[in-house]
Amino acid sequence: MSAVANKDEVSSKNAAATDGTGLLRISHISHRFGGLQVLDGVEFEVAAGTLTGLIGPNGAGKSTLFNIVSGFLIAQSGSILFDGRDITRDSVRARSAAGLVRTFQTPKVFGKLSVRENLMIGYYQHLHSGPFGNMLRTPRSRGEIEGMRAQAVQAGERFGLQEVMDRPAGKVTAGMQRLVELARAWVSQPRLLLLDEPSSGLNSTEIEQMRAALQRLNREGMTILLVSHDMDLVDVASEVHVLCFGSIIASGTMAQIKQDQAVRQAYLGV
Amino acid sequence: MSLDLLFQSVLTGLTNGFVYGLVGLGIASIFRGTRIINAMQGDFALIGGITAVLLLERQGWPMAPAFLAAVVIGGVAGWLLEILLVRPLRRRGGTEDSYLLLTLGAAFAVSALVLYFVGRDSHALPGIGGEGIVVIADAAMRIHAIWLIAISLAVMLSLRVFFTRTALGLSMMAAALDPEGALTTGINVPLMRTLTFVLGGLVGGLAGVLVGPLVTVYYNMGLLLTLKGFAAAILGGLTNPLGAIVGGVTLGLLESIAIVTISSGYKDVVAMVILIIIMIVMPNGLLGRRLRKGG
Amino acid sequence: MPSETHTTKLRRTLLWLVPLVLWAAFPLVATRHMVDLLVFAGLYSIAGLGVAFLLGQCGIVNLAQSVFYGIGAYSVAWFCANKGFPSAVGIAAGIGLSMTIAAIVGWPILRLSGYFLALATLALGIIGQVLFLEWDGVTGGTLGIGGIPFIEPFGFAFDTPARFYFLVWPIAFVLLLLHYNLLHSRNGLALRAMRDEPDAAAVLGVDIHKLKVQMFMLSAALGSLAGSLFAHYVTFVSVDSFAIDRAISFLLLAVLGGVYTVWGPVLGALFITILPQWLSRLGDIHAFVFAAALIAAVILLPEGFGGAISHWWQRRTAKRGLNGGSP
Repeated sequence: MSAVANKDEVSSKNAAATDGTGLLRISHISHRFGGLQVLDGVEFEVAAGTLTGLIGPNGAGKSTLFNIVSGFLIAQSGSILFDGRDITRDSVRARSAAGLVRTFQTPKVFGKLSVRENLMIGYYQHLHSGPFGNMLRTPRSRGEIEGMRAQAVQAGERFGLQEVMDRPAGKVTAGMQRLVELARAWVSQPRLLLLDEPSSGLNSTEIEQMRAALQRLNREGMTILLVSHDMDLVDVASEVHVLCFGSIIASGTMAQIKQDQAVRQAYLGV
Repeated sequence: MSLDLLFQSVLTGLTNGFVYGLVGLGIASIFRGTRIINAMQGDFALIGGITAVLLLERQGWPMAPAFLAAVVIGGVAGWLLEILLVRPLRRRGGTEDSYLLLTLGAAFAVSALVLYFVGRDSHALPGIGGEGIVVIADAAMRIHAIWLIAISLAVMLSLRVFFTRTALGLSMMAAALDPEGALTTGINVPLMRTLTFVLGGLVGGLAGVLVGPLVTVYYNMGLLLTLKGFAAAILGGLTNPLGAIVGGVTLGLLESIAIVTISSGYKDVVAMVILIIIMIVMPNGLLGRRLRKGG
Repeated sequence: MPSETHTTKLRRTLLWLVPLVLWAAFPLVATRHMVDLLVFAGLYSIAGLGVAFLLGQCGIVNLAQSVFYGIGAYSVAWFCANKGFPSAVGIAAGIGLSMTIAAIVGWPILRLSGYFLALATLALGIIGQVLFLEWDGVTGGTLGIGGIPFIEPFGFAFDTPARFYFLVWPIAFVLLLLHYNLLHSRNGLALRAMRDEPDAAAVLGVDIHKLKVQMFMLSAALGSLAGSLFAHYVTFVSVDSFAIDRAISFLLLAVLGGVYTVWGPVLGALFITILPQWLSRLGDIHAFVFAAALIAAVILLPEGFGGAISHWWQRRTAKRGLNGGSP
């Protein structure tokens, strides 16, 4: 019996949840820093299996919201439901155990580890051996590290990282690091993948590659929530929410958003 | 427990507290100026104390010049620490851990040198006002202790004036808060850093000559003083040097109460437990407001 | 080409065979005094491994190792000398007590980081030192406890330096191997990841705090084991052996030997046991030399001797085009 979970199981889990009930439900999230009300009653949903975008002008509160959803900040009021469960006060680790994985605006790859090892770690939480068992090299420990290695190889092939597998992750290009971070998140088989400005620091070719990668991931059944400045990237989303001055001012497809009065006012002052 | 005993222990605690506060003030000043925790601060006191001992006993100097020289030597030690050890580490990219190991190593080196050249014995220092005692409400307090408190308060106030009113003090503050900005306004930031350590050394040396007459000077007095000074500094808010005095007094009083209620052998245990509790429960101290990003 | 692989295989075998033979032959040719020194090097390697691993993999400076060393020693003194239990009981009790204390004390203080944590462990070291002195009913205070029996399985007593040499070093080697296994396992990967980017590690499900506590417990267990063996070797223990300067030596040997390789502590331990011998003519100078060595290591050789050797070896094998890595 392999230590590796079946990717089809994850896709079917996601498909099963696509019955209209949101995988992620943000309700009345409000948060202030000192005198500044950064988020004011934010409400939206992310349906399972969709690729959703979150956009908004600078200072709109996107990072704060992202940190709140991923657990790096605990919301002062409001609630977050993930697959029906209230995760509002959960730790980062508890959220990742539930299947909620995020990336970072500047890619946080493990610089001193090789790319291969970075991908291996992605599979950490699906395994269970403890450090003391690891010391004794129990059969379970050995099986687990082999499983992690296999996952890494798979991810390396899928994301085109074969050539850099044994290089320290801190020494590859910024574009590659983004890919490593994305591949690593893919290995962890998230139920919801949160991407924080995945295109920042990339040139136009790389952004195109990122678009394609995201579309492919979504086609395979992964639910993705994407925060971005880049309109071309967010274009792949089937649903977009616009955050402005701490609340959602518009939701819909990209085309609808572009027509929306409130959005035009916020972005263009028209 | 009698009221007399309680009052006596309050006086002792107060006196010790100001010593811890002085050491803590040195630690906080250096931390605010360079973001380095100086694990050697207590050993600046050792340097000051042992210098005074050597000048008085072996060279026959009178008291006032000996004490003054001791304080100056403390400042020199601070200067040496910065240019010989801290700067090279900075150049090579020191992490928080490595600076701590560096200053710890320096602390042990000083202690070991004193052990080697002076030996294991404790050395007494004469106090200001000799052995004279003042009686306050049936409790006795050495005149030296009163001078200690007065001098500590004077140092505290003059430092406040120094940092807020003098050009040099303001430059040091600026260099600490915004090194790049300070550079562009022509402030010699590396020099300011060195001066921060010199200041720490002076304050440390002063603590040494003030505490020496009360507890004697011995080769491994530094470590415990550093830890207690660190507790005082945290209590006062690590970036608030004047808060360290308040923190020190609080610590000294708590320690004294513990001695009379538990036992004197456990005095240091009590102080160390208080230190650990403070770090866990109130890392920002009683007065400090700046958020500490976890050590 | 076949002959090339033949020589590399031979080279690789010699790499560990030669030191092994040298190690085994040492007691046969060295003086009793030298063997005694090497026994202490073995004991310190074990305690130092605990400190080094914690520092290298978790970034935690553990200045309380002397307390666990003392607990291990006093456990043996209590259970074996006072109560007559076999050594295994004393050793196990020491390890159990040390790990429990490490868990209880570690849980809150390992949430701290950097300076706070290091100084918290230093405070713990001082607390331990004072308690060892004050609780003289258990520890015998400065008078100490004597008459600790030798380790004696099946009538064979480890009562000479040479015999103890062949006890302590195999134990040390096994522990090095266990730590090597850990480093190359799922959790070893997690430790290295959380050292690099704690946020990213947390997002991938690594329980950083729990791992730190577990590593602290492991470190304590090693300190305790070393202390227990120490007690069985010298047969007399007193508080002077478990003061802060002991904790500092452990830290020093870890930093000097190098905290990023598993075998670094062995080099550090050899340094701190052999050097005072060379310097003994000059009096009590070795404390200063140790402190100076710590400073020099921090500034000039941050990865310790072990790291320097490791890098040198990697450059050498890379030049020869071999796929040699170092442990």
